[in-house]
Amino acid sequence: MKPVVADNNRIFRRVGVILALFLLTISIGVPLLLIFWQSVYPDGQWDWMAPIQTITGHHLSGVLLNSVWLGICVVAVTTLLALPLAWMMAKTRMGQHRWVDVILMIPFMTPPYIGSMGWILFMQKGGYLQQWVPSAASWSELFFSFWGMVLIMSLHLFPFLYLLLRDAIIRIGGNLEEAGAVHGGRAGYRFRRIILPLLLSSYGMGIMLVFVKTIAEFGTPATFGRKIGYYVMTSEIHKYISSWPIDFGKATSLASVLLSVCLVMWYMQSAMSRKFTYRLVGGKGQRFKRYSLSGGAGWLCGLYLALLLILSVGIPYFSIIAASTMKLRGAGLSFDNLTLDHYRELLSWGSVSMKAIGNSLGLSLAASTVAVMIGTGLALTIGKSSSLMQRVIDLFSLLPNTVPGIVMVVGLILFWNSPWMPFTLYNSYGMVVLTYVVLFLPYTVQYVKSSFTQIDGTLFQAGQVFGGKPLYILRRILLPLIIPGMLAGWMMTFTIATRELVGSLLILPPSMQTSATYIFAQFEQGQVSLGMAMAVVTVGMTVLMLLGIEVLNSKRKWNAS
Amino acid sequence: MLGMKTRKRSAMLLLSAVMSISLFGCSTGNSTTGNAGQAAGEGSTATASAETTKPAGGKLVLYSAGPQKLADNIIGGFTAKTGIEVEMFQGTTGKILARMEAEKSNPVADVVILASLPSAQALKADGLTLPYPDAENADKLNKDWSDAEGNYFSSSASALGIVYNTKLVSTPPTSWAELATPAWKDAVNIPDPTLSGSALDFITGYLSVNGDKGWELLDSYKANGVAMAGANQEALDPVITGAKSIVAAGVDYMAYSSKAKGEPLDIVYPEEGTVISPRPAAILKSSQNVENAKAFIDYLLSDEAQKLVADAYLIPGREDIEATNRANLKDIPQLKVDWNWMSEHGDETAARFSETFK
Repeated sequence: MKPVVADNNRIFRRVGVILALFLLTISIGVPLLLIFWQSVYPDGQWDWMAPIQTITGHHLSGVLLNSVWLGICVVAVTTLLALPLAWMMAKTRMGQHRWVDVILMIPFMTPPYIGSMGWILFMQKGGYLQQWVPSAASWSELFFSFWGMVLIMSLHLFPFLYLLLRDAIIRIGGNLEEAGAVHGGRAGYRFRRIILPLLLSSYGMGIMLVFVKTIAEFGTPATFGRKIGYYVMTSEIHKYISSWPIDFGKATSLASVLLSVCLVMWYMQSAMSRKFTYRLVGGKGQRFKRYSLSGGAGWLCGLYLALLLILSVGIPYFSIIAASTMKLRGAGLSFDNLTLDHYRELLSWGSVSMKAIGNSLGLSLAASTVAVMIGTGLALTIGKSSSLMQRVIDLFSLLPNTVPGIVMVVGLILFWNSPWMPFTLYNSYGMVVLTYVVLFLPYTVQYVKSSFTQIDGTLFQAGQVFGGKPLYILRRILLPLIIPGMLAGWMMTFTIATRELVGSLLILPPSMQTSATYIFAQFEQGQVSLGMAMAVVTVGMTVLMLLGIEVLNSKRKWNAS
Repeated sequence: MLGMKTRKRSAMLLLSAVMSISLFGCSTGNSTTGNAGQAAGEGSTATASAETTKPAGGKLVLYSAGPQKLADNIIGGFTAKTGIEVEMFQGTTGKILARMEAEKSNPVADVVILASLPSAQALKADGLTLPYPDAENADKLNKDWSDAEGNYFSSSASALGIVYNTKLVSTPPTSWAELATPAWKDAVNIPDPTLSGSALDFITGYLSVNGDKGWELLDSYKANGVAMAGANQEALDPVITGAKSIVAAGVDYMAYSSKAKGEPLDIVYPEEGTVISPRPAAILKSSQNVENAKAFIDYLLSDEAQKLVADAYLIPGREDIEATNRANLKDIPQLKVDWNWMSEHGDETAARFSETFK
């Protein structure tokens, strides 16, 4: 990093920072500022006490504690689910089964409220489990508890943590561990003193996002949480923002509390990550060893994977597919109650549903591509967050993930539809793309940052020493090392964008539907089967697409690690 | 690390340039659909619909709550008759109001159809509605449900009843109080009044008749394990699948249409009377297509559209039109509710109710 720092380089870095700040200000900063403006300016009267009054006057502490406790428990359970799997997929021969990655993306691609519905339909009184195994009636309803909710949310979020951890473990490689072994460290010791500290930075990022996703999640609390009487911040915010009487002031006040909690988390994570970031991807070739699993260990790992797949994909999708093929929902599971009519109706050419699918795909493709380009730029600007400005950019780019989606969306509407704007983007295709990009930018930033911060600067110096022109270094050193991160970010953005609901409900131009709003509308209209069929079709299409990408990938060299 | 950074920077510059161009592109492309800023928007809509004076051609933006098939059919009929293209946003009353709030500085909608009378009364009180006293057939509407000055017209209504699963319930309860008896312990859902305008109408309506004694009934519901369960369809769904037996204050048209499909459902109206929840339509003052909006209201109150309403298992808003597939207004025992009281006490009632049932 130190040698020959040319002046123009410094200038360009500054331009980059300014540009990043400008982009983030107009896309995230100003909309959020407008939200806060609303919360201190209720009824056209300046009242900076308004948010505080809302919070004190509202039995907030209980709901806030509920949110935080839920977040902590989900983080714990996702760790339990993701860490062993990440190790298995990185270190053992099981990692060759790349299809597992795609299957494990399914829970993440499933809209949270659909996944919860699947569990509810399966476990409830008279549900699929009881129709199947009548004796289950004595215990299956016990599932409707706080821990049931934690399990549902963890099963939804763990793939995300798993991907981050697996990539991090792969980057650690075998050398360091071998060194430990040579010096007589036992497996447990090696894990504790070598792997764990090296993992902490990625793990910190991962759990922060899991925590934030959990406390900002709306779908599961709205479907499952309401059933068991567990209320969290998002359900309260949503109440003020979507039911009569609408009160943005109160909603934004609550949102600011949620935001503060998330900022504290972010601060802790970044402090930890600064302390525990190591250059792992250096110039020396990495030897990588995969353990072959034999005997008991192999069985255990296989069993673990199978159980995980059953819980995260098997059970919810059994319910979803069953519900989508039922003639009469009141008639229950039986062969004469099966029909494919809902799929026929859904997939008939030129229908509303086909248009919705087309819209979803188009919007998600556009949004994920733009998000990856901007997000990579931001991540590289942030770099190792050494300067204050870089940390500010880091914070800004994470904001959309720390503000409940619906609040962010309202801010965007207020901004892009305000009378003083020279042009209004609101109610157009571009607005939807912009919203998705803003909402999902943090994913790309996190993924690219995570792979970028672990590249040793000496690699670039080596490139220069050997006369590599900047473009050549970019193409042959930087890009190959961060492309897995970019790709992961792109895939994440694409898959979440295809199921994005809360923002779409508010922001789609009239007469335009996406698959998610279509599903939601069918639920509202009592056409549950049609909605579930749509969920199956869209998730199925995304899986096929990801499989295609995996197949293409596996032919590339940089993925061989 | 040096020059490479510059590459990244220039790449980013390019990216942001591309992005802003595409954004501009989208917004200008969009102005032809009439959603651009006030100044630009007025110009383009005016040219698009040729002065917007006569209701021939042009467009209309409708925000509609309620059954989508009905809305689709009405739009189909309206477009066939007038040639006006309708853009529709479909959602619950709450979502529509939230969208209107977000669009406050740059309103888009011309006509709204809501599923709750008090929210239409609130729109009128806030001066957001455009009166249309000359609407055709307005004189045939049920007077209690519509505004005398023509600010809103209830073109349809639903009644709230006890909806039950016929596989699980052989002798349905006949009064509201019966749901608090041990026979129905933990078997009853009630929609959340903060999400369902009709459930709120029932609760405030019942309280407007029974005063504080009404809360005794609701408290005894809570004690008997009645569960507050989302909006109407969410409350009904577990009853269809058999997880619950009954919806208290369920919307009747949903029950009728599910029953027609063959689901094991039926509905009774308790003998002490129930609440009927009208579904008002209003023209917004901010409308940029006033003539088209008026034509739409006229169509909504026409024989043709009222027939479509009846086909969707709703009660027609016009008193002279009867439904053949469901209980008509005169067959449903009604509580003598006080809509003014209900409008005024909606907020606090919803708050107290959800506090109690949490």
